[in-house]
Amino acid sequence: MATTLGWIILALPLLGCLALALFPRHGEPPKGPVIAIGVGSILIAFVLSAVVFASMLAEDPSERLHVDSLYEWIDIGGVSVDLAIRIDTLSMMMMLIITGVGFLIHLYSVEYMDHDRDYRRFFAEMNFFVFSMLLLVMAENFVFLIVGWGFVGIASYLLIGYYYQQADAVRSAKKAFVMNVIGDVGMVLAAFLLVRELGTLDYSEVFARAGELGPESGTALAVCLLLFVGAAAKSGQMPLHSWLPDAMTGPTPVSALIHAATMVTAGVYLIVRCYTLFDLSSLAGDTVAVVGMVTLFLAATVALMQVDIKRVLAWSTVSQIGYMVMAAGLGLYASAMFHLMTHAFFKATLFLAAGAVIHALGGEQSLDRMGGLRRHLRVAYFAMGAGCLAIAGFPGFSGFFSKDEILAYSLAAGTLGTIGYVVGTVAALLTAIYMFRLLFRAFFGPDPDGGYAHAPHPSRWWMAVPLSILAVLAVVGGWIQVPFGWHLIDDWLAPALVGAPEISPSHTQEVVSLIIGSIVAVAGIAIAWYLFGADRERRLRLAGVAAGPRRVLEDGYELDEIYDEALIGTTRDLGDALTRDFEPKGAGGIISAPVAIVRGSARVLRAAESGLVRTYAFALIAGVGAAGIVIVLAVVR
Amino acid sequence: MTGVPLAFYIGLSAAMFLIGMLGVMIRRNPLLLLLAVELMLNSANVALVGFSRHWDDSAGQIFALVVMVVAAAEVVIGLGLVVATFRQRIELDVDQLSTLKG
Amino acid sequence: MGERITFAIAAATALVCSIAVISVRDAFRAAVALIGALLSVAVIFVLLSAPFVAMIQVVVYAGAIVVLFLFVIAYLGERRTVGAPDRLARWQFLSWVAVLTLGALAVIAFFNSDLAGFRDDPRPTGNIGDPDAIGAAFLDRYLIPFEVTSLVLLVAAVGAVLLARRAVQREGGR
Repeated sequence: MATTLGWIILALPLLGCLALALFPRHGEPPKGPVIAIGVGSILIAFVLSAVVFASMLAEDPSERLHVDSLYEWIDIGGVSVDLAIRIDTLSMMMMLIITGVGFLIHLYSVEYMDHDRDYRRFFAEMNFFVFSMLLLVMAENFVFLIVGWGFVGIASYLLIGYYYQQADAVRSAKKAFVMNVIGDVGMVLAAFLLVRELGTLDYSEVFARAGELGPESGTALAVCLLLFVGAAAKSGQMPLHSWLPDAMTGPTPVSALIHAATMVTAGVYLIVRCYTLFDLSSLAGDTVAVVGMVTLFLAATVALMQVDIKRVLAWSTVSQIGYMVMAAGLGLYASAMFHLMTHAFFKATLFLAAGAVIHALGGEQSLDRMGGLRRHLRVAYFAMGAGCLAIAGFPGFSGFFSKDEILAYSLAAGTLGTIGYVVGTVAALLTAIYMFRLLFRAFFGPDPDGGYAHAPHPSRWWMAVPLSILAVLAVVGGWIQVPFGWHLIDDWLAPALVGAPEISPSHTQEVVSLIIGSIVAVAGIAIAWYLFGADRERRLRLAGVAAGPRRVLEDGYELDEIYDEALIGTTRDLGDALTRDFEPKGAGGIISAPVAIVRGSARVLRAAESGLVRTYAFALIAGVGAAGIVIVLAVVR
Repeated sequence: MTGVPLAFYIGLSAAMFLIGMLGVMIRRNPLLLLLAVELMLNSANVALVGFSRHWDDSAGQIFALVVMVVAAAEVVIGLGLVVATFRQRIELDVDQLSTLKG
Repeated sequence: MGERITFAIAAATALVCSIAVISVRDAFRAAVALIGALLSVAVIFVLLSAPFVAMIQVVVYAGAIVVLFLFVIAYLGERRTVGAPDRLARWQFLSWVAVLTLGALAVIAFFNSDLAGFRDDPRPTGNIGDPDAIGAAFLDRYLIPFEVTSLVLLVAAVGAVLLARRAVQREGGR
């Protein structure tokens, strides 16, 4: 029953997308049916997911694994791939997040996208995205994982470039897609390796026989690193991260759903899903952890300098996913998933609140032109406040528990983990600072100079209700897993993570982490208040300090420029050089050489056709003479 | 030895042939060129008839007669061409008659 | 003995006349020299027991072909050969080279030939040269060459007519 429902859950968004896309062929349909189909499909999917969840709760933990195959898709050379889905505790968790948060964001979009001409296209593309994401997490083999991966990339491209008439939107969409493709290549290569070594791509087989790759072997390392390339590209880890901030050209609900809650977390999901493979190679795990650490720290420093409200949140996403990736690299799979869940809640809240602000201000996105909004937009203010408290790790909020879990468990994960703890804690301080900078600058203080062009109008219930629900989740969502208390996430995910190393902190480590975490959060808020909230004059004075390094940070360490120079510029130069030099002589030469040979030989041969009788006579006689010599010599010998 | 051995006749034939060949290569006036060609044909006839006597077979003489007929035909056409070129006001120089060039 | 003397005179005349043919500037004189060469060759034919062939040589070759030449030479007028410089002058020496080479070859061939009776007195022959023998051969063994040569003559005649007609038209005739 679970898998039957699973197929329906998977199919609903796809059918929604097709219905919206294909009917009617011309003209825009009325909004009513579009909302009904677009939002309704996700709502039903969520309800059904909840039903499946409930049924799984009633089962014995060891039975919480359902696999169903629809039909055998291909069978080549001993490798057989079925269209099959897998519903276990890990995929169930992802399904709930995707459909639940997805539904709330769809609902929010009804009002947010109200003025948009291409209403139907938006919902069709969003539905397609939900379908792709579900396929990705429900796949039972690497093939459909990669298929879902690719579809998600397409959906992201379509949605980032939603405002396709704007050049920067198109550019961002292309950039995102190209960087994702780099990841796709890595994943496909990993799949090739798996086929070569194990001869199968089904999860159950691969994970059961993972040991055949050889513990600590080069093959295991290669497979893991290649998979991680895919994860890094999709999840915006350095150096494949720069597409994420640029992806903010898409509508805010898109940023909330795709670039906060779901798509970018696919990389984390991948690593957790393939934990048996990552456990084989400690070097791979360490690499993943280091990349996560570097990303979370550097992204936090960049977020501090951003002026566009959405870009702050984008870099924040990069940083938070860095936490998850670091955790996954250290073997703390359940912790990573816990943070994934709470991040979905509070990041979606933050984005939707930012969207409410942008919507209210008629499209304004720059912090420089915001201020005092808590007087005008109360719902957004409370939601944003809740989200900021959560992400900063204020005690009691969801982010507090999940971030602490990662940091405390890192302490117990060896030397690398301890380094991760330090880096993560410093970054947590920065996180608190930059998030509250955003809150104070936008919502506190006086209205910006010159007042508001539009009088900010608060949102209707379409936007307010999902926002509120998510805000509440951001507050209470962390109580599922409390240190020294109950560990519901760990318990829930245990059947899916059989055989993973058990790492838990000692009591001392846990207490230390809790205390330091709380101090850091509060200190961050205080510093932010001092710098950005309390005194406007002080902020403006400090804004002029250290302009050079600030600009470098704001530009994301100018990595984009480096890519442009190193990669794109080099390729372009190579192309130019080839066109200019190689092609006329090389490729052209290969053609023109035979031509020249033929022409030359023709010219030589033409000399024999002089048209002069006497030369012909000469030739004749010369021939006769030669023949004569030959004959005479033959006779005389 | 009272008679003339075959060798002498063949020798005469070879000499006349070579003289005719030299004439073909040197002469530029087409008429004179054709005369040289006639010399060569005649030399061939001498050789044919000489061998005919050597083998005591009339085939050589028959062949020589046929050669003469062919020579006549060829002279007719050749002279016709020479006359035609003359009518075109072209100089009588085989080197000028090079329209078949290339 | 008589044969040898006759041969010697005839051969010498032939060679002298041949050299004249290729070296004399005047076309008329060259044609006359050719007549001399042809008559010498007719004598040679007689020595070779080919009286019929000798007769045909005199009547057809010297009497018709060379006369044709003389007609054309007269028609074309006294023309000096052309003023334009010889394009192939520098290759003339090649002609001499060719001739000398072939001459050398001929000499070598002569002295190395082991053809039976090459350097001996000729053997007596039958009546291979009589007109009836030749006639019989033409109508018996060599009928086909006989017919083919008549075709050749036909072709030559047609060709001559064509060449002449075009020439007439070019002249602005009919």
